[in-house]
Amino acid sequence: MDAYAKAFWLPKEGSSEAEYEDAYFPRHTERRKGQRLRFAIADGATETSFSGLWARMLASKFVRRGINFTFTPDELRPLQENWKKSVSGKSLPWYAEEKLASGAFSTLLGLELTDTNSGNEIKRTWRAMAFGDSCLVQVRGGEIIIAFPLKDSASFTSRPDLLSSLPSTEINQSGAALIAEGIWGCDDTFFLMTDALACWFFKEKEADRQPWNILRDLDTQGQTSFQAWVASLRSSGAMKNDDVTLVRIDIVG
Amino acid sequence: MAYSAEISRGNPSCFVFLIDQSGSMADVFGAGEGNQKKADGVADAINRLLQNLVIKCAKEEGVRDYFHVSVVGYGAQVGPAFSGALAGRQLVPISEIGNSPARIEQRNKKVSDGAGGLVDQQVRFPLWFEPTANGGTPMRQALGEAKTIVEGWLGQHPNSFPPIVINITDGESTDGDPTAAADEIRKLKTNDGEVLLFNVHLSAQKAAAIEYPSSESNLPDQFAQQLFRMSSVLPEYMLNIAKKEGMNVGEGSRGFVFNADMVAVIKFLDIGTRPSALR
Repeated sequence: MDAYAKAFWLPKEGSSEAEYEDAYFPRHTERRKGQRLRFAIADGATETSFSGLWARMLASKFVRRGINFTFTPDELRPLQENWKKSVSGKSLPWYAEEKLASGAFSTLLGLELTDTNSGNEIKRTWRAMAFGDSCLVQVRGGEIIIAFPLKDSASFTSRPDLLSSLPSTEINQSGAALIAEGIWGCDDTFFLMTDALACWFFKEKEADRQPWNILRDLDTQGQTSFQAWVASLRSSGAMKNDDVTLVRIDIVG
Repeated sequence: MAYSAEISRGNPSCFVFLIDQSGSMADVFGAGEGNQKKADGVADAINRLLQNLVIKCAKEEGVRDYFHVSVVGYGAQVGPAFSGALAGRQLVPISEIGNSPARIEQRNKKVSDGAGGLVDQQVRFPLWFEPTANGGTPMRQALGEAKTIVEGWLGQHPNSFPPIVINITDGESTDGDPTAAADEIRKLKTNDGEVLLFNVHLSAQKAAAIEYPSSESNLPDQFAQQLFRMSSVLPEYMLNIAKKEGMNVGEGSRGFVFNADMVAVIKFLDIGTRPSALR
């Protein structure tokens, strides 16, 4: 399998790049070859502190195969310990201490593409896992094959299921990830999107437009940049002012 | 759509709290039920509210100025009621509030021990506001002060999420009918909607609180009815928050609670100050 992955990202309007709290892996545009490739995005919650760090840890851990599809939140313990180590040890003002005590929260959306050869048979499958409202859309020949875990713009609420940086005994965590799987083809494109972009995407689709064409052409010659494009959608009210992340994966053979 | 403006550092919003500090606030809640003085209970509630607002706005780099907050006391005198470093300040950015408590107490808090049990942990409990109970109830003057503060704010923040004014009192105004002064506040607006005025009436008797009424017919006296009429109708976003919290609210419900005990006050402040979207 040969895939080309490119990431696009932008902080909220009015926030600096350092305040961007989504995460994506791989970190650089790359052409990847292999029988098993992993990609991930995560969206750290604005209401919690050090959530960008938590989002990066989750996405990176998934891509390095440190998170299994069958994982339970208990298996996150080592990662949670790492988060705690990274953020503690300093003398903090009272509010920072209180804020840390409630932990950081993040979504996680992970995708694995597999290409196996057994005898004469080539099996091309994918699996995805999701916590929260970061979305995956698979497009083939101008058609959506699957949208996961949300399927329409009405499904976005302000309280999605999130992964906490605190051990599950300390909070009420629902548990298992949502899982989806399917088959991929050689001309497919996968879009991994955090909520503001995904919600825009579904609204466009609901209006019988083809948003994947816009995302496919981003940053190609003659197109406006991702930044200018998002800025125009925000100012017209078509996209919520939030951190925006897109990982576009084109299967090239 | 009204009440949908995003609250950000570039477009902050504002809260004004009016706190009755009249002599009767030294009485205990609910005529003998428990032994907490109303003034102590309200001071505790306001300090907790300020803590929660600061924590809500805290990020790794510090406190983001999503809100500016004013606390006005009215009793023997009417004016800014912060103590310590912020004494005399009228409208203070939330980051300054976070960094300038008058003092910090150590209190015990029950926290999870990580194995299903609870243990006591010492936490820092910052305080900005001290209980006071002295003099009459110059509510009309206090509402006039709130109007001045909010008008000044609106001049500089015409597109902000509308300011919210919350008046906490245990009785009737002693400087005349406050209705017109309340109307003046509710007429103020930003491009995102009218300024909201909510009233909390503290319990004097051992009767159940009447929360978010939509008519004055069940209210026992003319003063309760007057406070009801002075209160804004809850906008839709706040109705939704109140419904999610299990409150019995509907079309026409007003931001008013009559005969509130401390639990009702804290719940009311929590719902009344919960912003829609911080960015």
